[in-house]
This record gives sequence, structure tokens and C-alpha cells, in this order.
Amino acid sequence: MFKRKVAFFMVILVLVVALTAAFCIPRSQAAEHPLKGKKIDMAILGIGGWLPSRLGVDMSPLFAKYAKEKFGYEASFTFAEAPFSALFQKAASTLATRSQEYNIIISDSQWLGALAEPGWIIKVSDLIKKHPELDIEWYDPVVVNTYMEYPEGSGELWGLPEEGDTIALFVRTDLFHDPAEKKAFKEKYGMDLPQTFEDFENLTMPDFEKIAEFFTRPEKELWGTAMQYSKEYDFMTMYLYPFMFSMGGDIWDPKERRVYGILNSDINAKAMEWNRRMLKYQPPGAVNYGIAEEIDAFTQDKVATAFQWAAVGLAMITDQNRDRVMVVPPPGFKQKDGSLKRLYSIGGQPWVINAYNDEAHMTVAIDFLKWWYLPETQLEFAKRGGNPCVKAVLEGPGFEDIQPWFRAFKYMLKTTRSRDFWHEPKYSEMLAAQQEGFTAYATGSVDDPKLCLEYAACEQQKILYEAGRSKIKPPDSCADVRLR
Amino acid sequence: MLSVSAAYRLISFVKALRMRLNLAESETDKRVSLESPKGILARIQALRMAWIDNSRYFPLMLLMPVLIFFLLWNIIPLLWMVGMSFYNFSLITGQPPRFIGFRNFIDIYNSFAVWGSLGKTFVFVFFSVGIETVLGILLGILFWGSTTLPGRRVALTLLFSPMVLTPAATGTFYRLIYEPTFGAANYLTTLFFGTKIDFLGDKLWALPAVLLVDIWMWTPFMILITLAALGSVPKAELEAAEVDRLPWPKRFWYVGLPHAKFILMLGVLLRTIDSFKVMDLIYQLTRGGPGNTTEVIGITLFRKAFEGFTMGWSSALAVITLLMAIAFTSIFLYILSLRKRGSEV
Repeated sequence: MFKRKVAFFMVILVLVVALTAAFCIPRSQAAEHPLKGKKIDMAILGIGGWLPSRLGVDMSPLFAKYAKEKFGYEASFTFAEAPFSALFQKAASTLATRSQEYNIIISDSQWLGALAEPGWIIKVSDLIKKHPELDIEWYDPVVVNTYMEYPEGSGELWGLPEEGDTIALFVRTDLFHDPAEKKAFKEKYGMDLPQTFEDFENLTMPDFEKIAEFFTRPEKELWGTAMQYSKEYDFMTMYLYPFMFSMGGDIWDPKERRVYGILNSDINAKAMEWNRRMLKYQPPGAVNYGIAEEIDAFTQDKVATAFQWAAVGLAMITDQNRDRVMVVPPPGFKQKDGSLKRLYSIGGQPWVINAYNDEAHMTVAIDFLKWWYLPETQLEFAKRGGNPCVKAVLEGPGFEDIQPWFRAFKYMLKTTRSRDFWHEPKYSEMLAAQQEGFTAYATGSVDDPKLCLEYAACEQQKILYEAGRSKIKPPDSCADVRLR
Repeated sequence: MLSVSAAYRLISFVKALRMRLNLAESETDKRVSLESPKGILARIQALRMAWIDNSRYFPLMLLMPVLIFFLLWNIIPLLWMVGMSFYNFSLITGQPPRFIGFRNFIDIYNSFAVWGSLGKTFVFVFFSVGIETVLGILLGILFWGSTTLPGRRVALTLLFSPMVLTPAATGTFYRLIYEPTFGAANYLTTLFFGTKIDFLGDKLWALPAVLLVDIWMWTPFMILITLAALGSVPKAELEAAEVDRLPWPKRFWYVGLPHAKFILMLGVLLRTIDSFKVMDLIYQLTRGGPGNTTEVIGITLFRKAFEGFTMGWSSALAVITLLMAIAFTSIFLYILSLRKRGSEV
């Protein structure tokens, strides 16, 4: 009788252990990955000559190793690239034919609407529901607003941040820390040259103008600063907006999609005047400066400071100037209440996933993104020069010391300091119209900033109205507006 | 190996074709049995030869690949583009094309930007073709009259090299040459005039700077045309002019030009059409800037079509520019026809 009881007890014990074990084993280990044993070739389309974009592929062998170990399949990646101005064109021409030539695309944030509306990319909101690993805590809401959301304020997500990017001020410390320069500046302007990160945090644009003026010495081939005024893509726009945003101007009302009456404001006209005035302190030819030209000017020691994207930090800080460059927040604009406001343009690019991927490629794309946001991957990305957006990584110990620009990048990656603009499908047309107007004023082809703003506002309102994106018709007076 | 039924089908097909073409049976056919593979091959060969010999079908056969290519890559896209010009269609809004009649054309007619671009295009065409023609003729005459000059062939090869470069490459290196702080052009302006000029960033200098690059690139073409044109002048007339001791300018004007003018005109018109559609060179140099100082019609079209993706509007503008190109071609054909009329008279 006792033996039977023991035997019965043992059977029950074995059953309990077996059931417990069955529930405890993770599902991933219990079920085999559907691609196990297969080889998948993936293609990424990214931005040519843009390091953070390139890193996505340079790091792909790490993913291949991870996938082989964890899921048992082989993945290889190829990289196609196009410059900023041609990226969308390249992507659109394949997506319009429902091709899966590029399985993952590194888009620009403003393209989200244009990619989402025709149904070319998958909706990330739905993806997150199925794959909660992608529901990540981002450093600031500006990350979601910029790289993920379309339409603005809708809460619908279409992209995931590949890299964050903000404008920072690159400063030559060999000039700023030079006692003779400090003394001369103090004598001339009655104020100290800013020395530390905190000094620059409190620096106003009028004071920065004095610094730029001080270092402008054409006879020595040295100028005070460098910004971007090129007509290509969004270069001029990105560097004029900080003046507009920080001085209290706006560019449109995203709800009604009203541009006319908002963009062509007096404040924005003053911002344009100020932005053009800054050309006095920049090398000749600065009206054609884009990202590359600015890098050249700074690395060749032609300028004392440069407003530049944090994403190109590795190109701005070379082996030759590494010990004499510091990266700080760009200057702020004094408000009526005495506070300092700096609201600069935000850069960076999201990942978007081709909606026409077959099941295998879609699976690998999702696995890749899950791997991309693992803390160790993000940290590796940061070490290689990329700017991550994951909160845990940015707030991790020692993050600011990984790269010289990380402190400024982190400082600027806030809703109150960086802002994106239209995620409209008609983005490119609207951009082309205002690039024309803005550069016409910057280059002196037109001397009336109000006219240039009027032109851009009329054109943009017309574009939105005719595309059925806005019910607001451009006023009749727009018929006579021309850049002359 | 053909199966028996397949061979019979092939023979029937060959017979049917031969009957339709009324081909006479050759001696070889009579000797070889129809059912044998050798006979089938012989018949196919005979039929092929008959097709080639037939004066009615042979030209058509030769033209067929080109016609198919032309139809697929020119006619169908062209008709598609003409059709699209009557629609409001953007590639990126996800909306289907909407028929709007002539609204795109009316919009273009009312667009200051388009008129401005067209104006700049005509200025560009006028100066580029004009200067290239004058320089090309002068240099062409120089090389024509110096056949025994040592190193002539090397000089000509060097002179023609700009023409074989791609406009994108030319634009890129000229952008560096014009660079205001380290460019070679500004080294020279500093050396001779003591000042630097922002050639591509200054609204007054941008168009002349772009024109200069085009002239550098395409003057060799006009030299080539001039040499070809002067090569068509009869030797006897030149010798007669030499015997009469006619001075060089008169020799060119009275002896050379009457024979050379038609080929020269061909060169001028080819350059006119080419300059009218210039885009890549200017885009690489200035992107149409500063402001819109160098925005010619090709750049406007590129921006609207491939940056703005407004396919309907861009198609309408493309149709208009196509009509303009056809107008140039008509002038070209008319001038060429003058030669024929002249020779008939």
C-alpha cells in the first residue's frame, strides 16, 4: 500500500515538473524560426556619403552573426545609395512598381507622408502591436514626432528612428582658448569669449554675431562661422528655420494645412534678414554651401565656428583637429520676457519597411530592427559615430563621453530645442518652392524678404490646395506674385 | 530530335507559308524527301532565302528591330506623356490621376517661373551657340589652313577632349575651379585684378560663368563641324583662288562658305537643340541658383518631375518643350532643303 502511494506520488511529481518545464521554456526556443537553415539576401537603400546611413549596413555582419546563432538562418546585406536630393526618387521608382528591390529604406523624416499615402511602407503602429519588442522608450517625444509619426499629431507611426540628428556648433578651441584672442575680444567687445559648454548654453545670437565678426579676417583666410545656404534639397531651409522658429515665427498650421498668412509674416521676414546678415562673417561662396562644403571649410581651418549636423561629427573632427575642437549648443535667441530660446531644425532619418516584401524578407527586416534597438547594438552604433535615440542608451552612464558631440546632440534632442517640418506627401514640391524663394533672398537676387516669403507661401498654399490636401485656396493676389 | 508529328506540323507550316508567298520549289527540294530532317532544314533555309530575296519584305525585316525599339521606347512613352499632360497626377499622394483638360497648360502659360526659365534658356542658347559658332569657325579655319603644322594632330586631339567628357564631370571640376577661396579661377583674378569673385554665388556672374563652361565644352564640336564643312570645298576652286591670289578672308567668304554653309548650319542647329535642353551641366554647377539666376527650362522640368513628382504638370511642360524642339528641327529641315533647291536651280 505504501509503495503504491509512493509510486502515485512520484508520477504526479514527474507530471508537475514536466508541465512546469513546458511552460517555462521560452516560445522562441520551443518553436523553430521559420527561416531556419535558409539564406536571405537583403537590400537596404540609404543616403550616399552619409555615415549614419552607411553604419546600418556596416554593422549588418553583426546581425548576420546574431541571426545565425539565435535563429539559425543566414542573412546578407547589400547597400544601395543615393544623395539626399535623389533618395526619394530612387525609392519611389521601385516602390511604385511594387518591387521589393529595397527591403528596408533609410528615408528622410519628411518623406514619411509620401511613402505612407500610396501604401508603399508598412504601418509601424500595427507592427508594434505584433512585435512589442519594437515598442521602445525614446529619449524625447521629438523622436516620435520626427521620425515616426504621420500625419502630424495623429499618433499613427510609419517609421522607426535609424539615427537622430540635431544642429550643433563646432568650435575651434585653439582660437577660443588662446589668451591673446581672449584678451583682444574682451578689449573690443567688453565681454568674455565663451569657454565652456555652459558658456555656450547661455550665449545669445547677437553675442555670437560679435564673436563671428571678431574672427572674420579675410586677409588671413579666416572667417567667423559657416552655415548652409545651398539651393540643393533642404540645405537653406534647415538653416533659416532656426532663425524663424527661435524668433517666434512659424511655417504653417498642420491641422488646416494653412501656409499663407503664417509663413509670410513680418517675424519671418526679420529672420531672413538676420540669416542673410550672417553671410558677412562667412567665407566667399558660402551662398552655395551645403553639408560637404561646410565640412571642408571647417576642417581646412577657414572658419572659427560652424553650425553643422551632429551626424557628420566624425567628418568634422579629424585626426588633425581632434584636440582643438569642442561641440556645443548653437546660440539662443533672447525673448521678450528675457528668456533664451533656441529652436533649431532637426535632422536624422527613420527606417521604413517596404510593404511589398515577401514573408521571408519581411521576417528578416523585423528581426533586423529588433536587433538594431538592442542596447548593445545601439551602443556599438554610438561608438562607430552614429546618434542613437533610445532613452536607456542616451541616459546610460558615460554616453556623453563616447563621442565629442554627444553632449550637444543630447542637449538639443528635445522638443523645446529641435523641430521638424511637414511630413506631407507634397513635401518635395513645397520644399522646392521655398528653397527658390529663400535662396533668391540670401543670394541677393531679390532684396525684399517679404516678397520671397509671399512667393513661397503662395506656391505652397497652391500646391496643397490643388492636391486636395487643404481646403484653403491661395488668395487672388498670389497671381501677381513673382520673384523679380 | 523532332518527333514525327512535330515534323509534319513544321512541314505543313512551311508549305502553307510557301503557298502564300508563291515560292517556286527549288531543285534541292525536289531531290530531298519532305519527311527527312535534311529536307525540312533545306526548306526552312529556302524559305529564309526567299524572305531575304523578296524586295518587299527585306527592308521591313531590317527595319523591324529599330521600329520595335522605337515603338516601345519612344512612341508609347510619348503618347503616354501626352495623355498624362491632361491629368492632375502626383506619384506620391496615392490619389488616382484626375482628368483636368488643358488646366496644366493654362497653369504653365500663367506661370512667371516658367516664362522666366524660358527667357534664361533663350539667353543661354543665344550666347552659347553664338560664341561657340564664331570661335569654332575661327579655330576651324586656323586648323584647316595649317595642314603641315607640326603637332597638328595632337593639338586637335587635345582640343576635342572637352567634348568627350560627361557634363556631370565637367560641372564638378569647374565648380572646384570656380571655388572662391581655393579655386584656380580666383587665383588668376587675384593675380591680375587683385580681387576674388564668387563666380557661381554671385547673381551677376553665375550665368556668364556657366556659359563659359558650356563654351569650353562645345566649341570643339563647332571646330569639328567647320573642318568637315571646309573639307567639302572642291580643291579645284581653292586652287583657282590661290592662282588668283585671293586673300584669306575673301577666299573663305567667296569660295569656302558657299560650299560649307549647309554643314555649318547643321552644326549650329544641332547645338541649338542641345543647348535648349541643357540641364546636367548647370545642375552640377549651380543647381539653378543663386536664387533662380541660372534656372533654365531643363532644370525647372527636372525639379517638377523628379523632385516634385507632379507628373501631369511636368508632362505638359515636356510636351511644350518637345514642340519647341520640333520647331527647331523644322527650321533645320527647311534650311537643309534650301540646299536641294539651290542645287536644282
